[in-house]
Amino acid sequence: MLPVVVVHGGAGHIPKERSDLSTSGVCSAVRSAYAVLQGGGSSMDAVVEAAMLLENNPSFNAGCGSVLNLKGEVEMDALVMDGKTLSSGAVSAIRNIANPVQLARLVMDKTSHACLTAEGASQFARSMGVPEVPQESLITEYSRMRWKKNLAPDANPVECQMGKMGTVGAVAVDTDGNVACATSTGGMLNKMEGRVGDTPCIGSGGYADNMSGAVSTTGHGEAIMKVTLARHILFHMEQGQSAEAASDLGLAHMKSRVGGLGGVVTVDPQGNWAARFSSRQMAWAAAQKGTLHYGLYTGEHFTKIIEDAH
Amino acid sequence: MSAVLVVHGGAWSIPDEMAPASVSGVKAAARHGSSVLKSGGSALDAVEAAVRALEDNPTFNAGYGATLNIDGEVELDAIIMDGRTLASGAVSCVKNIANPVSLARAVMEKTSHIMLTGKGANQFAESIGINAIPTDKLVTEYEKKEWEKAHDTVGAVAVDCAGNVACATSTGGIRNKMVGRVGDSPVIGRAIKISYFCFGAVSCTGHGESILKVTLARLILSHVEQGKSVADASRLSLQYMGDRVQGAGGTIVVSPSGQWAATFTTERMAWAAAADGVLWFGINPEERLNEKLSQ
Repeated sequence: MLPVVVVHGGAGHIPKERSDLSTSGVCSAVRSAYAVLQGGGSSMDAVVEAAMLLENNPSFNAGCGSVLNLKGEVEMDALVMDGKTLSSGAVSAIRNIANPVQLARLVMDKTSHACLTAEGASQFARSMGVPEVPQESLITEYSRMRWKKNLAPDANPVECQMGKMGTVGAVAVDTDGNVACATSTGGMLNKMEGRVGDTPCIGSGGYADNMSGAVSTTGHGEAIMKVTLARHILFHMEQGQSAEAASDLGLAHMKSRVGGLGGVVTVDPQGNWAARFSSRQMAWAAAQKGTLHYGLYTGEHFTKIIEDAH
Repeated sequence: MSAVLVVHGGAWSIPDEMAPASVSGVKAAARHGSSVLKSGGSALDAVEAAVRALEDNPTFNAGYGATLNIDGEVELDAIIMDGRTLASGAVSCVKNIANPVSLARAVMEKTSHIMLTGKGANQFAESIGINAIPTDKLVTEYEKKEWEKAHDTVGAVAVDCAGNVACATSTGGIRNKMVGRVGDSPVIGRAIKISYFCFGAVSCTGHGESILKVTLARLILSHVEQGKSVADASRLSLQYMGDRVQGAGGTIVVSPSGQWAATFTTERMAWAAAADGVLWFGINPEERLNEKLSQ
């Protein structure tokens, strides 16, 4: 059953003309992450690889392609968590770097802290030799168009939110049975400057514990935070629910208690996995036992053999 | 049913010379918060009032008296949560604000977001007329001295007569932290949590990174949801945090039925609780002193 990796490219209402891009993006990210695992890499290496590829892919709301804040600028959040030690690293409201998830990992590996924000996070990036990139390199036509549209006084950012590519993330279990998660995002469309959502918040944007599993979430950030969705799902798993049932319970609770929609990818230490969502779509892909699984709409589950898999 | 309010002023090795001030500080804050409840105020109003009193007291590491980061500046985190709606507001790394807990409440009530950080948080503060205070007004003589690492934070939990719970936590974070370090305080589920079926409210203090790793507040409430008493839930969870990630801390918990607990695995924690006309308080392990509330 091991290793396994599952990635998501955001839960929402992806317009038809962009859906091929989402599907190919998550499939390509999961293939690379799987290759890392097969080559003996750790689950942390795999989830960071997947998230970095999705950050570099302009079709997703992370890294390049991030949505813009109210001022038309890019502020990003990211989280990684290691299920063996419960160590985590996160950055929030970081600007001008290409791969926030990589910086989050550096926070975990090179500092005694778990989260750095804004200017402090930028200072740390510089001290680590992470190159500063011009903001323009992170902004796409599409994100600029959505930002302008949302400046209209009657626009509903949460509603419009769901109509774009979402947050990206991944969970994995490696051959040693260690789990990890990673999540990265440009946040909410037209958010206030300095707004931090669920993504960099441990327990909300993601959680990983070798004793129960790993989760990475996407959807309406404030709703995810109110119910600490990732941790909530793992509590259900600790009490014996399967990855799929626990994910559905968590999403249903979020919908009924606070009216929020979203999606998750979940894995347990034995390699059972689930990709579940309460929104209309979620671009997701998984790789296990030489097989690629993927889908976009509710109920979809396509499979393909991964060619050069041993 | 009667209202209950519990406050803490941080869990760490509080030095002997600071102990009396810490105890009187939490007692005063508990009295203040409980008078809000007594006059019919909500749990949310009560926790905000109690935490403001602690922020204004230079003895504690929040607002006035907060620790300096490695650049010698004051960066503050705070969170407040309303058990009725699960609404929450938080600020992280906001600079030079006297009462971060009130700014956190404003994020909750005046924006559609839950958390604001850094410059954005300061801009929001200005936009609602909360002005920054010069650093030297917020930094005390104590802080300028070399001292051993302190991990204190302040917090309050309450249940009002309507059975609604609320919690709030505020901190200047750990000494010599990196610029931009965000600890557990402003994060829902770590430093504070209110469970969805309103099983209670929790505020935590101690080693932030450990609290984050085990999502301490949420962990405590999941034990309560499964039927444990607030005291047992707190003990089990702090034990787990010690075993799993070698972290020590303290928690205060209140349930909608008025059960409360103040528990810690650090050397000391200054705490006080107002319930049924009695003021309970302590600072050393196993200590549980009391006096009449109305004096």
